[in-house]
Amino acid sequence: ACVVKERKMASVSELYDVGWEEMRDKLRKWREDNCRNSEQIVDVGEELISEHGSKLGDDIWIIYEQVMIAALDCSRDDLALTCLQELRKQFPDSHRVKRLSGMRLEALERYDEANKHYDAILQDDPTNTAARKRKISILKAQGKSAEAIRELNEYLEQFVGDQEAWHELSELYINEHDYGKAAFCLEELMMTNPHNHLYCEQYAEVKYTQGGLENLELSRKYFAQALRLNNRNMRALFGLYMSASHIAASPKVGAKVKKDNMKYAAWAATQINRAYKLAGRGTKENKCSVKAVEEMLESMQITMS
Amino acid sequence: MGEVELSCRAYVKMYLHACLFPRCSINGLLLSSSSAGGAVCVTDCVPLLHSHLPLAPITQLALTQVDVWCSQTQQRIVGYYQANACVSDSSPTPCALKIADKIAEQFNNAVLLMIDGGKMSPDYRVPPIVMYERKDSRWTLKDKHTIMLRQWEETRAIASQMLESGDHMLLVDFDSHLDDITKDWTNQKLNNKIAELASPANGNV
Repeated sequence: ACVVKERKMASVSELYDVGWEEMRDKLRKWREDNCRNSEQIVDVGEELISEHGSKLGDDIWIIYEQVMIAALDCSRDDLALTCLQELRKQFPDSHRVKRLSGMRLEALERYDEANKHYDAILQDDPTNTAARKRKISILKAQGKSAEAIRELNEYLEQFVGDQEAWHELSELYINEHDYGKAAFCLEELMMTNPHNHLYCEQYAEVKYTQGGLENLELSRKYFAQALRLNNRNMRALFGLYMSASHIAASPKVGAKVKKDNMKYAAWAATQINRAYKLAGRGTKENKCSVKAVEEMLESMQITMS
Repeated sequence: MGEVELSCRAYVKMYLHACLFPRCSINGLLLSSSSAGGAVCVTDCVPLLHSHLPLAPITQLALTQVDVWCSQTQQRIVGYYQANACVSDSSPTPCALKIADKIAEQFNNAVLLMIDGGKMSPDYRVPPIVMYERKDSRWTLKDKHTIMLRQWEETRAIASQMLESGDHMLLVDFDSHLDDITKDWTNQKLNNKIAELASPANGNV
């Protein structure tokens, strides 16, 4: 649920000592990075539009779109409607703007009307992926996970390269505890994004959750791979420690596998300790975490049989 | 069965956790520094995750770390809280039940608390929470009259005030801690702020 905050009175430019160009550039960066910091976008964007709108040139239209979506996220329907109306005036027959109208209806939970908007777009243009994805988002918002999953699968049969869709599907499967299918989605993502440490690490987490010796070994391999790609990924480091420890402690493994995994776990433990010591230097408040980690590692240690 | 008391500190941090990630499912652990027996006094909470709640490794890790911290600070884990991303559904998910079961193995009177996202707006005057307790191996709804929030109006005011001042941005959950391990998931800074805002007469923070 989004909680409505009271608006601060000081202007953004006063508070942060920035000019309108910096505000415009910040908005562009947030667009490029696909950030969902909606409260900030609303603060900066609303001021930019109202105080410096005339200076923005053609940029203003994409800013209207960005601010409108952020405004919906913050329950600022007044601002969203203002932006939408400007866009409608400028681009009267645009599908892109029609999609924004649909999104506003979604935010107001008028899902049937929103669906009508998207169906109208799709009648005109059956390849409009944005409208299809919005329809799937509506299913998700309504808690209809099974249908959302089905629609998303159909979508991906046609648009097999849509990364965002594959990731969305993996999240839906994880929430339904369908780890096998979540793993499949993440495998797709790892294939097309071999240098992305986050996908490796998420895949490893799914495998670990599935459990069983084979999955644990796979999880350990992918935690290690994530670390190779980004040696500061703490989740991967802890994951390596935990998966290796579990494998070493399993009665089903032979002596060599046990020994190897104890080595991996020991290495991971050293790295974890080092990272926490570095993090704890100079800050009093972190003593809790450092000590807790040391004790935790001790309590999880496998003893040699 | 028994009475459960929820402290200002525990409620405010849970509330701020939910506000910090309004579009995600979030969860955390409920702690008590009181001795066992009598009412369960939830005196603190540790916010855990805002992503991939059903996945095992980070949850296991967090449970172990919090366990160790508790034994160092004379606290114990007495419950679990969760807020679902989908505001219209505040029922416990399978993963909530699983984690709560685990906690109940170590503590008989464990509580499962679901935050009702739909009732968090300022015009609601009652605590937006639903509590469950374990009866005959099942999690059943607790009688509202056995749930106590002392100084509720004050707690509510503190939560609102901290949200408006942007203090929820200071909250660190375990997920955020893993992104930057210099961040403190025990949230001492926030605890101090809450204590400052609570009236001096209220010794029960």
